[in-house]
Amino acid sequence: MLIAISWRNIWRNKLRSLVVIIAITLGIMAGVFSTAFMKGMMVQRLETAIRSEISNLQVHDSLFRITGELKYFIPKGMALAGSIDTLEHVRGTAPRIIVQAMISSAEAGSGVSVLGIEPEREKKVTDIIDHLEEGQYLEGVRRNPILISRKLADKLNLHLRSRVVLTLQDLDRNLTADAFRVAGIYRTTNTSYDEVHVFVRYDDLLRLTALPDGAVHEIAVRTDDDRFTPAVQQAIRHLAPRLEVLTWEQISPELRYIVAAMDQYMYLFIAIILLALLFGIINTMLMVILERRKEIGMLLAIGMSRLRVFGMILLETVMLTMAGGIVGIVGGILVSKYFEVHYIDLSMFGKGLEQWGYNSLVHTRIDPALVVTVTLMVIFTGIVAALYPAWKAIRYDPAEALRTE
Amino acid sequence: MKSPVIAWRNIWRNKRRTLITAASVFFGVIFAAVMSSMQEGSYSKMIDNVVKFYSGYLQVQQEDYWENKTINNTFVLSDSLSGAIARIPGVTATAPRLESFALASSDELTKGAVVIGIDPEAEHRVTNLERWIIRGRYLHPGDSGILMGDELASYLHVDVGDTLVLLGMGYHGVSAAGKYPVAGIFRYPMPQFNRQFIYLDLKQAQELYWAPHRITSLVVMVRDHYQMPAARQALDTLIHPPLRVMSWDEMQPELVQLIASDRLGGKIFKAILYVIIAFGILGTVIMMFAERRRELAVMIAIGTQKRLLAWILFLEIVFIALLGVITGLAGSVAVNTWFYHHPIRVAGEAAKAFTDMGIEPVYAFSLMPSVFYNQVITVFILVMLVSLYPMIKTACLKVPQALRG
Amino acid sequence: MKIIEIRDLVKIYDSEEIRVTAVDHIDLSFEEGEFTAVVGPSGSGKTTFLNLVGGLDRPTSGRVIIHGIDLWSLRPHEITDFRLHNIGFVFQAYNLLPVLTALENVEFIMHLQGWPKAERQRRAVELLEAVGLADRLHSRPSRLSGGQQQRVAVARALASRPRFILADEPTANLDSHSTENLLNIMERLNREEGITFIFSTHDARVVKKARRIITLEDGKVIADEKR
Repeated sequence: MLIAISWRNIWRNKLRSLVVIIAITLGIMAGVFSTAFMKGMMVQRLETAIRSEISNLQVHDSLFRITGELKYFIPKGMALAGSIDTLEHVRGTAPRIIVQAMISSAEAGSGVSVLGIEPEREKKVTDIIDHLEEGQYLEGVRRNPILISRKLADKLNLHLRSRVVLTLQDLDRNLTADAFRVAGIYRTTNTSYDEVHVFVRYDDLLRLTALPDGAVHEIAVRTDDDRFTPAVQQAIRHLAPRLEVLTWEQISPELRYIVAAMDQYMYLFIAIILLALLFGIINTMLMVILERRKEIGMLLAIGMSRLRVFGMILLETVMLTMAGGIVGIVGGILVSKYFEVHYIDLSMFGKGLEQWGYNSLVHTRIDPALVVTVTLMVIFTGIVAALYPAWKAIRYDPAEALRTE
Repeated sequence: MKSPVIAWRNIWRNKRRTLITAASVFFGVIFAAVMSSMQEGSYSKMIDNVVKFYSGYLQVQQEDYWENKTINNTFVLSDSLSGAIARIPGVTATAPRLESFALASSDELTKGAVVIGIDPEAEHRVTNLERWIIRGRYLHPGDSGILMGDELASYLHVDVGDTLVLLGMGYHGVSAAGKYPVAGIFRYPMPQFNRQFIYLDLKQAQELYWAPHRITSLVVMVRDHYQMPAARQALDTLIHPPLRVMSWDEMQPELVQLIASDRLGGKIFKAILYVIIAFGILGTVIMMFAERRRELAVMIAIGTQKRLLAWILFLEIVFIALLGVITGLAGSVAVNTWFYHHPIRVAGEAAKAFTDMGIEPVYAFSLMPSVFYNQVITVFILVMLVSLYPMIKTACLKVPQALRG
Repeated sequence: MKIIEIRDLVKIYDSEEIRVTAVDHIDLSFEEGEFTAVVGPSGSGKTTFLNLVGGLDRPTSGRVIIHGIDLWSLRPHEITDFRLHNIGFVFQAYNLLPVLTALENVEFIMHLQGWPKAERQRRAVELLEAVGLADRLHSRPSRLSGGQQQRVAVARALASRPRFILADEPTANLDSHSTENLLNIMERLNREEGITFIFSTHDARVVKKARRIITLEDGKVIADEKR
């Protein structure tokens, strides 16, 4: 019965209740949508990182990442890659030679990381091939094809079929160079990555660097699903106990950090909105109990325990808050669902976003855990808001409250 | 009795309600002001870090240089032009640079680097470069040594006294090569500079690249970005094709966009907060009006003009808001000023995430007046909007009905 | 048998400005089945006295013993519970919850006492019929006249099966027709069911129906007539 009483009491003063409910609805809707937006950006960033940049796992010689030196290669790395391919849940492996070099056109130069790859294997691991703007994936040029990014092409004024020279230090520490021809131009949503990475054929780079046959610096591994990554990591460690086998989180802890920080940031966001709403709810409920002084006095007089009266006010406050909260959450979800499909266009900020790997076409994403947490937070806010008014209500002296003079 | 006095006393008839409403405004103002301060503070820092260390506020370049950053797009700076520029009011310093790319080799390793030929004294006046030296010494005019960033030095396994070979592309395509001792090592708060930059005396650089007397840019500094527009105008009158002027925002569009997107996000969040607070004030106003309907009717009956009553009600809203705004401003001035002088240093994983993104790991605060007066303006607008309610209700008040209720 | 015993009851209000002795050493007792009016001018202490008897206000000194239990020896939440199960109240106004129908208002007190749903609904209908409101079961107080509201209050007071019902100026807001009506119902309940009624009143018509009249003045009992 108390539920019915509390619910009906909310609607005794429609206008006043609606003002509070609308405020809560707007605030929560904005909050839910904003968090879906931020989540969407994060998810896209991670997907880009895994699909285009880091993959799920990477295998290196234990000194390679720290020093970057050519000599820390994995001997017979090609064969190892083959073995990893046979493991369960491995979608593909991409063995690579990695070398720092200078790429120069007729007029200018820039520092790049050159990756010597095997296109057929690479295709199963990264999706760079889907990001080709022009040309082909290291095909169409007979000798020394090279794949560069749009950012680099613009920087050095290069086109398809342009001639570039790669200058680098080989295994014997000799400075060596060779000419390459641009076979393709790619573009991902991470311009910082693009600017620095170029791709050539494994065999061509092997020759240039004077590395032994089968040597690789890095084996990138793509798993069927990121859930299996730890298991695959274990399996690879078994195969090659002296090598460094790292997951994407271990390679880029800052990515993991950003995701975690973003989660916290989202909840903080909602908390601040709820705090702002708290004032209005408390004021409304204080007014409510003030108006109902005699009524509450009567209830206390006829024998309703103070605990029950407290509970009644608490219930009414929570219901008032939830009325706005539920509509807000549902509304927020609906709007987010719409933009999950029809993305939000932020291309006016494209350059800034892409410098840090964020897509400028954002698909919002609802996190079910978030919906649950927000609901709980709203309920909690209702309870907190109720405390002071309910406490005041039970302190009413029934004799005084009923005195009619 | 004067209206303001009546209005002031009226708001204290329900002390708690007035205080809670004022508290909500206080919360909004202080939160928005602190948030804005942090945002503007971080933007200023980001801009400063790039502008003061690298790009300067303005640059004079050969007109094709920006699209095509090659040694071939350099120019010769005449003494008369140089003098004229230095005399522009607001210009604090100028520095010529020859900037290009080279492969830097130590005994063991090679990496691409950005080579900047500088006039050591001029450069220091513009970027304070000497301040960032952590080992070795700064360059003197005609110095044959180089300065390099600490991360680059540690990657190449070199330190002060070691020799570095620079290999690049000179004027009209001639190969550029030279051997230089490491004179000093610097560390700047932004890691990308420490990973890529090598400074060389200007004349040495011009020799290396076969470009005597030529520079890629003249960096022009003003005191702060408020002085920039005036200086730019003056520069524009002096600079004609084949030269052009570029300002830092044209040279760093990613940074500009990033700041713009963050600012927009902040505006949206503050808007949500203020909307919620507005509803809170509206709720209070509705309650105030409802409980005084009879009293207002009596006043009209005995001959008070409705206009006067509306004015008093308006003043009541203003006073309540003012309570919140004044305390909020006082609080935010205190908070912002404190943190302006004692910025919050970020540590640990968070710090690494910041530096990876190229931002100094600090929360800096700004004392820009707009941070504070924006809140006042916003609250003022809210008060205007909310006061429509009592205005309309008073205008529509029917005395007989109100007297009965 | 004696259901209420008042012994040397005193209530003094002490504020900054004045000190008022509202109830000044009253000794009284009430039997089961009484139909008693407590009368006196404004300020005589009627309302205070009723509040003390009903456990709504704490006496400065003296005892209120109901059915053998010294009311003020109990702890506050026990007193509340005591009121719930032993004392019925009909106030001058604000008796009912405006958001509940007549039926729901009567049911409410049984809900507080923990009655099962079917039971309380049945009894609520019964009681409302007894006060002549069988056709207004689902009306909210705003749709009922003053007199009808008071009758619902009586039905509600009865629903909790109290030992006695305290009514504080129950007819003060009613017109003469409704007053007559209400009094007849209360009288009938007293006569037929033996319900004890104690009310404070100004109204001569109410006093006329009472079988015992206690007159208070300045907090003292100056007359106690039985008819």
